[in-house]
Amino acid sequence: MPLEPIPIQAEAAAAVTGDFEVQLEVFAGPLDLLLRLIESRQLDVLTVPLAELADAYVAHLAANPLDPAELADFVAVAAQLILLKSRRLLPGEPAPVAPPGEEEPDEDELRRRLVEYRALRDVARQLGERDLAMPAFRREPRESDLPVALTAALPASLLSELLEALAAIPEPEPPPPEVVPREITIAMQIAALRAAMGSAGKVVLQQVLAACRSRTQVTVTVLALLELVRRREARVEQHELFGPILVEALNGRPVA
Amino acid sequence: MTAPAELGPYYEALLFIAERPLSTGELADLGGVPRVQAEATLAGLAEQLADDGRGLRLQQSDDAWQLVTAPEVGSRLAAYAAREEARLSPAALEALAVIAYRQPCTRADVDHVRGVDSDYVIRSLLHRRLIVEVGRRDTPGRPMLFGTTFTFLERFGLTSLGDLPALASDAALVAAGSALEELNEPADAG
Repeated sequence: MPLEPIPIQAEAAAAVTGDFEVQLEVFAGPLDLLLRLIESRQLDVLTVPLAELADAYVAHLAANPLDPAELADFVAVAAQLILLKSRRLLPGEPAPVAPPGEEEPDEDELRRRLVEYRALRDVARQLGERDLAMPAFRREPRESDLPVALTAALPASLLSELLEALAAIPEPEPPPPEVVPREITIAMQIAALRAAMGSAGKVVLQQVLAACRSRTQVTVTVLALLELVRRREARVEQHELFGPILVEALNGRPVA
Repeated sequence: MTAPAELGPYYEALLFIAERPLSTGELADLGGVPRVQAEATLAGLAEQLADDGRGLRLQQSDDAWQLVTAPEVGSRLAAYAAREEARLSPAALEALAVIAYRQPCTRADVDHVRGVDSDYVIRSLLHRRLIVEVGRRDTPGRPMLFGTTFTFLERFGLTSLGDLPALASDAALVAAGSALEELNEPADAG
């Protein structure tokens, strides 16, 4: 006797899902949909003839928009149900009676998956109730990673000493009146970085920068490094705060 | 070498100041005791904290330990910690549940139980650091194996994986399977 091919009514589904804020049209997966079709009819997943759910399942697929990425998984379950149903409908053909334990292996397998999925779904719901409800907090890392010099109290005399030091610095030369020629280019510094990495294929950035003669050169070198990273020719690693910055040539290897 | 009676308080203090989980091996070395003794002391400390209804708990995950706040006070602490996090979707919870109960397991394992592609939700769980790659399975393609993290235990207020809600066991499933055959027989005959 076929079951009524009614789609899930909103009320019925709401009763099944209880307090959960689930959008009714969205299913967590094809097994979720099948299970809800069964439960909304208050049927027992262990005994319901799955073949008779084929129509309702297909009707539901047709009526509700699905994520295209998941469509194949839903269709796979629909196909299984239709196969089960078509076997029952074949006229004259005796039902494939296999020895006990091998009866309707497809139906058994699908049912087992449903039961397994139901157990999982139930614990997932319990986890969902606990989600952020009673969190445990660990100690937040302190800022002890910063070098002591930066966090230590500054000496009171520091300001006057700094002012003295500043006064000792000669006035910078006035800038040249004309446009400054572009002496250092990114292309040049890329070449310089490649040379610095050499056959070892790596270099510590601070060493390269220490060899720079002007602020412009430092800036352009850093820009050149960023360009190399963007082109995936190099990778940059720094294992600790204020530690050495290691530049490593990638030589066409994919970036991890 | 620490006397047994002092080892519990010592570990409690050590885990209090530690800013990262400490492994059983590290704790044994620091206490100057054999591993088994460290483990027993830590288990005792965890039990003691829970039994005395203290504001702290000892969490264990994958052979490492950390001192955390008790879940009972968690919701009140959340106001202080000012965490703004969205709750997980049913799909993400399902994927997380498979990994929590079956770890270490692969994405294909999660797909199989859920009956649907779980790539996206697994990425989001990785991003939230609720799971991590714990190795590779020695099968073709060497798929990544995932396991849960301390962040997972913290988020759900669990002391260890032993605190997870009971899953309908495999034994129960097998029993359900055989009951099923008996139930189906009369129906098929009729």
